[in-house]
Amino acid sequence: MLDAIYQLIAAFVAAFGFAMYFGARKRFFFVCALGGLLSWGVYLLTDYLFHSLFLSNFSGSAFAVLYAEVLARHMKCTATMIVVPSVIPLIPGGMLYYTLDAAVHGDLAATRQIGGDTLISALAISAGISVVMALRELHMKRQA
Amino acid sequence: MDLTRDEEARLIACLMETGQLLLECGAEISRVEDTLTRIGTAYGGVMNVFVIPSLITITMNYPDRESITETRRIRSYGTTDFYRLEKLNALSRECCAKPIPIAEFRERLYKIAAGKKPLPAVLVGSILGAGGFAVFFGGNLWDGLVSAVFGAIICLLQGRIGRTELNTAAANMLVSLMIGLGVGLVSKLIPVLHMDKILIGDIMLLIPGLTMTNAIRNILVGNTISGVVRLAETIIWAAALAGGFMMALAIVNLIP
Repeated sequence: MLDAIYQLIAAFVAAFGFAMYFGARKRFFFVCALGGLLSWGVYLLTDYLFHSLFLSNFSGSAFAVLYAEVLARHMKCTATMIVVPSVIPLIPGGMLYYTLDAAVHGDLAATRQIGGDTLISALAISAGISVVMALRELHMKRQA
Repeated sequence: MDLTRDEEARLIACLMETGQLLLECGAEISRVEDTLTRIGTAYGGVMNVFVIPSLITITMNYPDRESITETRRIRSYGTTDFYRLEKLNALSRECCAKPIPIAEFRERLYKIAAGKKPLPAVLVGSILGAGGFAVFFGGNLWDGLVSAVFGAIICLLQGRIGRTELNTAAANMLVSLMIGLGVGLVSKLIPVLHMDKILIGDIMLLIPGLTMTNAIRNILVGNTISGVVRLAETIIWAAALAGGFMMALAIVNLIP
């Protein structure tokens, strides 16, 4: 539990940092940081409930897009500017590192295992974003 | 809007510039195609736009005149840049709502192209991002601090190396070699530090995780060529990163 709280705070700080790093405007910093925290929260919750790497990444990124779409309407900007920093904590940077580490040490089994998990995570994140964005487009077309 | 032949030629050049800038800011392929099509349509052409990461081709057909085709080879690959992206979006929205004179269009594009993300914000962002992720992936506060310091170094190195126009793979390898050496030495000297956590925090700034996610998204939405090209690129970049770290660790391990 304590670990989760540390992680959530760290996700907030990191997403805040990446919003700055990507050159977003000041008024987006807090929104993006909160998005990062909440997306990771959704990830942790799904992981706790279903123990599935794919599902937790999928729901985390799907949430990030929903969050961004709602706030983008309020703040009059494109949703991408909020999605990208919000989704950053889900990006499997740690896994990618351990994959490379295993590859460098010649541990083929571990490379395959962790590398596969990395790809599944990337696929799940992309799928989460794409599905929600596709649904939104459908919704807009029906309104038009 | 009625354009002379000369203006049509200049308009297509402006569209090329817009497309290249969008790509350099990290915009998705479908977004680039969409934006160029909309602007061209607003100026009265019937648009055929095709974009992949290394090439833009546009054909503008007009009902009563000859069509114009142009292609542009894209060699640079930019990082995510919301600062310029936002300005480009505003400009394109304006052009679509009410086409502005071509000369003004070109003027404003040059102004946007010359702009830059404010360095202080990027620097602070790198520090917070690298430090935050070192803790996020299980490091303690000291790991976070060391990672933050190296995050700042990465930010400054990237600015330096960006100016030399080295290709991305080579640049990644160079930066990761230097960072790997630095982090390796520091964690050799101070044994309480966790080298892997510090390195993970720092490589979140370098790792093409976002590009990889975008590449898969391209494939899922139907831009298969762009997606596959980008995916292959990200794997090569990641391998270059690994190569740099591998060399650094091998060197650090030589020190007794």
